[in-house]
Amino acid sequence: MRRMLALYAAGVYLFLHLPLAILAAFSFNASRFTVWEGFSLKWHRAALSDRQLIEAAANSLVIGLAATAIATAAGTLGAYALWKRRSRWMTAALHISLVTPEIVTGISLLAFYQWVFRFWGLRLGMHTVIGAHVAFCLVFVVLVVMARLRTLDPALEEAAMDLGASEWRAFREVTLPWLWPGITAAALLAFTLSFDDYVVTSLVAGVDSETLPMVIYAMAKRGVSPVVNAVSTLIATGLGVLILVSERLRSA
Amino acid sequence: MRTIRNIFLAPSALVMLLLVAAPMAIVLYYSLLTRGVYGGVEWPLTLENWRRLADPLYLHILARTAALAAAATALCLVLGFPLALFISRAGPRKNLYLYLVILPFWTSFLVRTYAWMFLLRETGVINAALMGLGLIREPLGMLYTPGAVLVGLVYGHLPFMVLPLYAALERMDRSLLEAAADLGARPWQAALRVLVPLAAPGIRAGSVLVFIPCLGAYLTPDLLGGSKTVMAGNLIQNQFTQARDWPFGSAAALALMAIILTLLVAWVRREKEPLL
Amino acid sequence: MRRRVFLMSLAGAAGCRRGPMRLNVFNWSTYIAPETLANFERETGIRVRYAVYESNEEMLARVLSGNSGWDVVFPSHYCLAPMRRQGLLAPLRHEWLPHLDQLEPEFHKPAWDPELRWCVPYLWGGTGILYHRKLTPAPESWASMWEARLARRITMLNDPAEVLGAALKKLGYSVNTGEEAQLRQAQREALAQKPLLRAYLNAEVLDQVVAGDVVAAQAWSSAAQQAMDESAELRFVYPAEGFPLYADNAVVLRESRRAEAAHRFIDYLLRPEVAALNHRTARSASCIRLPEELKRNRVLYPAAEVLARGEWWTTPPASVQRLRDRLWTEILSG
Repeated sequence: MRRMLALYAAGVYLFLHLPLAILAAFSFNASRFTVWEGFSLKWHRAALSDRQLIEAAANSLVIGLAATAIATAAGTLGAYALWKRRSRWMTAALHISLVTPEIVTGISLLAFYQWVFRFWGLRLGMHTVIGAHVAFCLVFVVLVVMARLRTLDPALEEAAMDLGASEWRAFREVTLPWLWPGITAAALLAFTLSFDDYVVTSLVAGVDSETLPMVIYAMAKRGVSPVVNAVSTLIATGLGVLILVSERLRSA
Repeated sequence: MRTIRNIFLAPSALVMLLLVAAPMAIVLYYSLLTRGVYGGVEWPLTLENWRRLADPLYLHILARTAALAAAATALCLVLGFPLALFISRAGPRKNLYLYLVILPFWTSFLVRTYAWMFLLRETGVINAALMGLGLIREPLGMLYTPGAVLVGLVYGHLPFMVLPLYAALERMDRSLLEAAADLGARPWQAALRVLVPLAAPGIRAGSVLVFIPCLGAYLTPDLLGGSKTVMAGNLIQNQFTQARDWPFGSAAALALMAIILTLLVAWVRREKEPLL
Repeated sequence: MRRRVFLMSLAGAAGCRRGPMRLNVFNWSTYIAPETLANFERETGIRVRYAVYESNEEMLARVLSGNSGWDVVFPSHYCLAPMRRQGLLAPLRHEWLPHLDQLEPEFHKPAWDPELRWCVPYLWGGTGILYHRKLTPAPESWASMWEARLARRITMLNDPAEVLGAALKKLGYSVNTGEEAQLRQAQREALAQKPLLRAYLNAEVLDQVVAGDVVAAQAWSSAAQQAMDESAELRFVYPAEGFPLYADNAVVLRESRRAEAAHRFIDYLLRPEVAALNHRTARSASCIRLPEELKRNRVLYPAAEVLARGEWWTTPPASVQRLRDRLWTEILSG
């Protein structure tokens, strides 16, 4: 059973990574097309010297980190609060956020921003994109953290408080340590959603807040460009290295 | 007892009010207006957009959307459960395996979708391999079909099934399975009767996290369906761009959300614990 | 010239919070050579932020709000009247466009803006059929795109006007018709064609035509030329029943606070050497005068008798626009 499971997992990982591997392979192809014509680094060089791409990648990173931080913090606290005592309004609002298709989130936020900006003479920009990302990430954070909270016995916190701890202390020293896997999973999910978002971002981005998905969509719409392949290979490698390093540091 | 809980709730509540409730109210308002000729909205108020939704043409699209979303969710569950199980048992390498699931998804959804187009084309890698092995003589027309859209949906949503499943399975007490084995259950029996019910919160969360985005999906059917496999998300998006009919798009969006919400509430009501 | 740049940059520095003067340009993809922007920046010190779009609707969706942040955009000629009506355009100052006389004679007084008060014509083209050489007999009319033998190997553009336009031409009507009966007939034709189509695609189809997955595609002439540059196996034809013509124009948005920089950019594009450079990337017929040998290309500059079959798009009245949009929604949903 154990071996079958491992074999199966290997299969699924193959399914998940095969498209990436093929992309990476063809990013080194000298030719633009599916016919292999020799090894070449020209597409990678082009990607790294493209000012627009680099700016977009930086924007995506900044937006992703900011939105993840805000959404995870707000969402974790919110999930805890809802776990202690339900709130019908909050639950209703969260449900609505959950069932909203991305395009509707984007359009509604655009309309909202336009309306607000009429009074304050502002423009679309990084702040509007971060706000939009927090808006659609929050419910997923709450969902994941809530799933984790449900596995915790409320009696534990009560016991701590009976022993003299304040509410905040009970949270910090009993519940929070238990929650970390859930919070990490939620933060990962939020960052993934934010970094990868095209639909909502394309609607609420200003002139100066182009993100990586937007640039890639524009490039890819014009046909298969190995520069796109090169970019994704670079990102995957970069992030992979980052993760390995952080894992090494954590276990050290 | 109240203060800390209310303080904790405040940030989320603010986000919900400003960035979810208010925009939704505006969409509702738009659905009652008339379309501007070149996009946007203008007066007068009308119920025409809502009346137009009853056309069987649009109900047909809804049915197709629901079928594809359900199929994608089922496939994600079947594919994702063993994987989540494997990761939850992986000991110290747990986080690594988790990151491996998510890593492809930091390289841009669009690029991955284009990778699938690359693979599925008549002159693509999969056909080349199949023909090379002599299994087929003519290339298979895989791209721009509902099947391609399904593959894309499953591929794009798998981690949203795996992560909640993992969160639930990770907590599980291994000794319960041992107890079942001691009592004579075969591994698959133990899995079905012990594992699955214990992982139920994760299954519920994962299914919701896959089914609902799939219902509103638009990029995947757009790129892999070639505007021929039109799902509800495509229809709505189209109203805000090519078809320039914001009010109708707003009405269609709200109708879709109402249907989804009804299903969600009906499904959740049967469960012991609420979803949120 | 230098003093002006210096003074402008002072003014810019006073107005902006940081760095060099900026200009935001929103254009169709491939319409400008990569070196053009760098050259412009080097010469004027104005930093250009450049983004691209694939359709007028995409551009309009951003620009309609009135505070999108863009300074120069390139709408197709039939979008100009609506944009003007919505108050989105800034009138052009000809004194800031010394190279305006570089336009081709027929674009000095175009039908959509005879005094060039609002726009500067930039590139023009027509719609036809791009096909693979191995397709015999070669397609010569829109009717060829309805042949059953080509099932799943053909595509049409993801553009409501173009799909209906092709159907209308096949039926012998004008692409600009406003008559409901004719439009509904065209819709029926489009619905009959849909099962035969592989997909509705714009620029993405070019790769697939080059690779051979698609044997015939409805395409704009400039896109077709780009594909033909990549592969000698491709041909392009302007259908016998007739075809639509379009021209993309540079305009300055009223919301722009950098009108002079915007004019300088447009004027830069009008220079003959810059236009020739851009032509190498855009591969489109240009409204700006190009050297004669570039104009011998029969795909981009069709012969007079072929061009006579072409019909310029016109801006439909509001009710017709609404009808066409609804017909497209029904085609997509069917």
